[in-house]
Amino acid sequence: MPDALYGALMLSFIDFFTSMVMISGIGVVLALFPLLNRLAKIDEEALRKSHH
Amino acid sequence: MIEQVLSFLGALMDQTGLAHLWWGNVVMIAIGCAMIYLAIAKGYEPLLLVGIGFSCIISNVPGSDLTQPGGLFHYAYEGVQLLVVPPLIFFGVGAMTDFAPMIANPRLVILGAAAHLGIFVALIGAKLLGFTLKEAGAIGIIGGADGPMAIFMTVKLAPHLLPQISVAAYSYMALMPLIQPPVMKLLTTPAERKIRMKQSRQVTRLEKIAFPIVIGIIVNLFFPPVAPLITMLMLGNLFREVLVVNRLARTAANDLMNVIIIVLTVAIGSTMAADKFLTIDTIEIVVLGLVAFLFGTGSGVVGAKILNLFLKEKINPLLGSAGIASVPIAARVSHNVALQYDKENFLIYHAMGPNLAGVFGTAISGAIMLALLGVH
Repeated sequence: MPDALYGALMLSFIDFFTSMVMISGIGVVLALFPLLNRLAKIDEEALRKSHH
Repeated sequence: MIEQVLSFLGALMDQTGLAHLWWGNVVMIAIGCAMIYLAIAKGYEPLLLVGIGFSCIISNVPGSDLTQPGGLFHYAYEGVQLLVVPPLIFFGVGAMTDFAPMIANPRLVILGAAAHLGIFVALIGAKLLGFTLKEAGAIGIIGGADGPMAIFMTVKLAPHLLPQISVAAYSYMALMPLIQPPVMKLLTTPAERKIRMKQSRQVTRLEKIAFPIVIGIIVNLFFPPVAPLITMLMLGNLFREVLVVNRLARTAANDLMNVIIIVLTVAIGSTMAADKFLTIDTIEIVVLGLVAFLFGTGSGVVGAKILNLFLKEKINPLLGSAGIASVPIAARVSHNVALQYDKENFLIYHAMGPNLAGVFGTAISGAIMLALLGVH
């Protein structure tokens, strides 16, 4: 990336929009989380009683 | 004989710090005192300002060995420079954070990136002022409002600017309740501020345990430059959520966090020597930091309004400014501004979603920046 105003503009443009895409991807992964509940269920009371 | 005595006294005086004191030291000592005053009398971030203020005072007393190699403050700074301290801060933060608001509202996660336009406005501004691209990147990351990430990026990109950037980052985080509301009100209508959010779904224990594991894998796969920070955040969070290692989670969230805060604050303050701090660069960095926060707040709110164009069920645009990563300050600001217009509109839980996403947004922006600048 050239150490000039052009480089700063390019870096900003690429970084901002790429991070929007990446974090949207994390959002998509989180949207799938409810499917985990079909695989298993955790007994929270039992976990709390067995704490260290 | 009198000449000999005077010569001896002169030599003795030269060995004291007093002989090397200059007006810059006096100014910085006054700044350190002001920080301690703000912490005690006004209650502004006392956990940070007391330590930073005191070590700022000591580092500007010439002759102090604490800031020299061999001194305790020097080794505290080594812990920051070697990137041992920032990941441990995130470890403690993870152990005290409930990510359920973020898991329950995945559509708000994008606000954690939308609110980071301020990083790039400050970066471009810094480049226009003559900083190098790496220095501009380090300055820009102040706009992410994430102290450990700002320190991490600055150590990688521009370690000589660490005192100014860390002080600016932590100071502006404390001032967010003053900085953000005018921008939020300028960009929203009273009707928009009164939008109520539907209650979020309940997040199960399984999801809360899966979250740190999944995110830990994603971050190490896709964003290795910032993996140390986010991995430790996730480890702390895993300790909190599994419910079987409560004593470890409590240690991480309390005692360890307290030790690390002490180390961090004396390290930051010890770098505030007058000859390095009282420069035009410092003034420019402080101004750019403010610009970053203002634009970040604005872009978050505008991002939320753009999101509303695609949603049937509108979100309150005040949530957008919470995408700045300062957890939980930015979320609290969104909640308090909403309350001013509707005393029964409690936004805090929803605002924590984009607020927590902002931590990842800053990390992702930082990782991409390091990759584009060729820094490992």
